[in-house]
Amino acid sequence: MKNSVFLASSFLLLTLSACSQNVDEQTAKETDQLLTSDWQTIADSAAGQQVNMYMWGGSENINQYIDEWVAPRLKKEHDVELNRIPMNDSQDIINQLVDEKFADKSSGSMDVIWINGENFKTAKDNDLLWGSFSGQLPYFNDFIDKDAPEIAYDFGEPVDGLEAPWGKAQFVFVHDESKSPNPPKSMNQLAEWVQENPRQFTYPALPDFTGSAFVRHVLYETTGGYEQYQQPAASIPDLETKLEPMWDYLNSIEPYLWRDGETYPESLAKQDQLYASGEIGMTMSYDPALAASEVLKGRFTESTRTFVLDGGTLSNTHFLSIPFNSSAKAGAMVAINELMSPEAQTAKLSPENWGDLTALDFTLLSLEQQDAMNDVDLGAATLSLTELEEHRLPELSSDYIEIIEKGWLQHVAKE
Amino acid sequence: MKNPLVFIKIILSVLVFLLMLLPFVPLILTSMSFGWQWPAILPELISFRAWDYVLFGSSGTWQAVGVSLLIALIVTAVNVLLAVPAANALVRNSFRGKWLMEAIIFAPIIIPPFVAVMGIHLTFLKLGLTETVIGVVLAHISPTLPYMVRAIMISYQTLSIDWEDQARMLGAGPISRFTLVVLPHLLPGIVAGASLSILISLSQYLITFIIGSGQVVTLSILLFPFISGGDPAIASAYSLLFAGMAIMTLLGLDVLLKKYYQQKSRDTLG
Repeated sequence: MKNSVFLASSFLLLTLSACSQNVDEQTAKETDQLLTSDWQTIADSAAGQQVNMYMWGGSENINQYIDEWVAPRLKKEHDVELNRIPMNDSQDIINQLVDEKFADKSSGSMDVIWINGENFKTAKDNDLLWGSFSGQLPYFNDFIDKDAPEIAYDFGEPVDGLEAPWGKAQFVFVHDESKSPNPPKSMNQLAEWVQENPRQFTYPALPDFTGSAFVRHVLYETTGGYEQYQQPAASIPDLETKLEPMWDYLNSIEPYLWRDGETYPESLAKQDQLYASGEIGMTMSYDPALAASEVLKGRFTESTRTFVLDGGTLSNTHFLSIPFNSSAKAGAMVAINELMSPEAQTAKLSPENWGDLTALDFTLLSLEQQDAMNDVDLGAATLSLTELEEHRLPELSSDYIEIIEKGWLQHVAKE
Repeated sequence: MKNPLVFIKIILSVLVFLLMLLPFVPLILTSMSFGWQWPAILPELISFRAWDYVLFGSSGTWQAVGVSLLIALIVTAVNVLLAVPAANALVRNSFRGKWLMEAIIFAPIIIPPFVAVMGIHLTFLKLGLTETVIGVVLAHISPTLPYMVRAIMISYQTLSIDWEDQARMLGAGPISRFTLVVLPHLLPGIVAGASLSILISLSQYLITFIIGSGQVVTLSILLFPFISGGDPAIASAYSLLFAGMAIMTLLGLDVLLKKYYQQKSRDTLG
């Protein structure tokens, strides 16, 4: 009895896997053609497809922008149904894709994923991404400066067309104008500000993404600029001693931080809560428009403003990609192309929708399109696009980030 | 003589009531706050932005509530079917390696369930069970079953085998022995286990996300990014909805149980 059940089920499995293998070969051929065929063919085969877009789901604005602005347009103009899937951490979906790769799952449910930095590197190293597709997208060819370092590299990793740029982020400091009318413009001035305003400043404990980015600014300013770090960490022999001024700086401001530096907020969300409730006078964000949308939501006070350092702040690009086993690759390409359209990028710029900076090259846009973007009301809390643009610094590659995050625990948190 | 007792009773119920309801007050206030700076005790302005998004927006809340409840109820039903015979064997029989069986059944209480689920994910992928409600139900059984078994074991410990022997002598077959003698005695244990099983199933995030791959969207899946991402208003609104859903389910269970006992007492009297 038991044996026959076992036999029957294994027979079923065998036939099922045999069937799917045939289908695999067919679809593999068809999808490879998508990487070379012309756009009209791609748009035609995309019609009627359902595209699942996996992205962080913790912002009402971003969710609504996708659900209510992008999805209806895609449906109407291209007959592509965009289905947003909320998740918490891109790491989770990368892990799932690793498993799906290992189990040879050929028809996955993820069609568009939103990644950058470390997640992109993991995905690329494990062959989890479909192929070099971005060169096929009309808006990518028309409006993107392909050779710009922030487009061709993602945290030091060559992009190779595996992902298409969706937007840019830039680090800004957030302060309350009514409490500190003259914000510091360099790390030295920040140290003075911190001493004059004890317990009003802190940063999220590393490895928090934003806290880690703050420390990288300290690195740039205390050790003499970013240029020297545009090479692999292993090729700098005396890196340890080079980093010392950074640890000294962080330790020198520590006694004047929130709670006298005895502890740090565990995440940016916690730190923002401290700022929102007025317990600290300054916070930070890797999203230059976050402060403006928090003002709109009534969480931050009206007098909230942002500022950058005279020496510039870090910026990075975030990308959209298609996993190797997406079941709707043509649809995914159409959706990504649409998300990069000047109209969608202009809508995304508004803090009511999101406030995310455009990935498009401003100079490639027509005058009307440029005007449309300039007309977007960024809110009083957001700096102008030109001011942000003029203060942009490149990111560090992930091997440095690892060294800094480990070093911080040892040199700053423990001491 | 009687009055002090009544007085104490009232004070105690008020205390319990406050302890249960007090945590909800800040949640309600946060979910409707617009600008809430220290040291104000109450928000300056009221806004229904969060509730508007959660209840009427594009968030898909109601479907997620339905999926959450469906999964929790199936998981609980399966748990009852598995736990009754398991508890029976563990309480009434002594056999070699019993401690090992107990250890295996209760292991999920101690071992974080996602450890097992990481491994299960690969197997489920090969079997095509990921992205399905069935797969998620199976995955939810591991963290919930121990509580069900534990609760039913306690019921079994107070049920002497003599009762069934007596029924057998009076001519009851195995089925009526179970439904008329064993089941009524187990029922309080089953209800206690079911409540825990429902609550634990409803609150699973990581397991649901890994096995469901985002295709099975429960309320926890919608709620979690907001809690860790820092929109306290929406996180509070979702939390309240979540609590409401759990409480309604438990109340429903309670009502059904009361009806059952009323019916039973009517039957025995009549």
